[in-house]
Amino acid sequence: MDGRSLIKTIFVQGPIPALRLFLALVLSTALIVLDTRFEKMETVRSVLGTGLAPVVWLGNAPGELTGWVAGLFTSRDDLSEINDALEARLLILERRAMKYAALAQENNELRRHLNAARAVDDRVVLAEIVGVSPDPFSHEVIIDKGSRNGVSVGQAILDADGLMGQIRQTSSFTSRVLLISDSSHAVPVEVNRNGLRAVLLGTGESDRLELVHVPDTADIREGDMLISSGLGGRFPRGYPVAEVVSIGKEPGAPFMSIEAKPKASLNQSHMVLVVFRQQADPEDVEDPVDDQPEAGELP
Amino acid sequence: MLSVISYPVFGFSVIVALVLSISLFPVGWFEFRPEWLGLMVFYWTFRAPAQFGILLAWCLGLLLDVLEATPLGVNALAMALIAFLVLTIHQRLRMFPLPQQCLMVFLLLGINQMLVHFIKQLLGADNVGFGYLWPALTSALIWPLVCVVLDNLNRKLG
Repeated sequence: MDGRSLIKTIFVQGPIPALRLFLALVLSTALIVLDTRFEKMETVRSVLGTGLAPVVWLGNAPGELTGWVAGLFTSRDDLSEINDALEARLLILERRAMKYAALAQENNELRRHLNAARAVDDRVVLAEIVGVSPDPFSHEVIIDKGSRNGVSVGQAILDADGLMGQIRQTSSFTSRVLLISDSSHAVPVEVNRNGLRAVLLGTGESDRLELVHVPDTADIREGDMLISSGLGGRFPRGYPVAEVVSIGKEPGAPFMSIEAKPKASLNQSHMVLVVFRQQADPEDVEDPVDDQPEAGELP
Repeated sequence: MLSVISYPVFGFSVIVALVLSISLFPVGWFEFRPEWLGLMVFYWTFRAPAQFGILLAWCLGLLLDVLEATPLGVNALAMALIAFLVLTIHQRLRMFPLPQQCLMVFLLLGINQMLVHFIKQLLGADNVGFGYLWPALTSALIWPLVCVVLDNLNRKLG
């Protein structure tokens, strides 16, 4: 190489670096403000996100590969054992669903007598968790259904045991789910036993939630089930969220300190359900699964 | 000292860094994951300050923002800052022995992480103590390896 290009690698050319840093600072500040205060950058983000889809796919490939390899070495006996267990469970759940359909019918009949609005079942779509947030300080997962499947921001996510979180961002093929254990998350809940309302906050730990602003005299016990109350209009009513595990009463403090354990297995679930409210158009949803058989489908 | 750089190696290393920064890491070790993209910005501005600079680092940071779902611009600004600091010290950095380079990597990536978490807290995130400095430490430990691998690739393909 000649002397000139050697000089070039040692001394920086062009405008002074400080000027460029200033430019970057101005650009970043503008972007951050636009993104967080005015939410104008969603299109840019989803375009870049769609462009980065291969990177996301590659990033999650190791996990899928180990799953695939583990699948190769599962013996036939194990599989048939799992299959038997699943069939037994399905039978039990089907029996419960049969009873549920009759109860739902009866409930609606009663509501009709009370002149209340008919309770409609939510529709759900099955989704798979394809990644977790790379940021260790936020509780987020990525699911494989995006705006192409009709998923939109704010929809609730369930697993088999309870409420998991809500959709925070969508791109074409994937969505990000904010889990209820994230420290910025809150769910309006009520105690299943007596309808006592409160707000359940995430703490940043995946097996501990905090029930806040419950007066010292309120009727709440360990083991109480907390279900979503549907207030605030974001989460559908009636899904189990957490179970109260400990109650601390301090004399003099106006509120109790109550800890709850999420019902959903937040860091183990693999398949989740995206809840579609009935007013959302369910026709454009890919393979919708009714979570309960209609009364008419009863044998 | 490198006299040649290879653009394919640059592209490849950036893609690998992006993949590594979101790929699954053993649960529980999450907060120790090196800041791969920061290392790449450090390496490339250090080795080729005339070709790779602040604005490119800013663009790469923007990609990381999209992957991590942080507000757009946070990581971008932090990456631009790394590039700027490397540009100001790269002549001295070349003279440093490897352990001292590692120390500089720790300092610069620590500043990067600090800035990211400072902005996040301004925007309402939780205070997480000094735990956010782990990535800077692991990055500093892995720097000699990254440096040797990329230098070799550059020599072969550049």
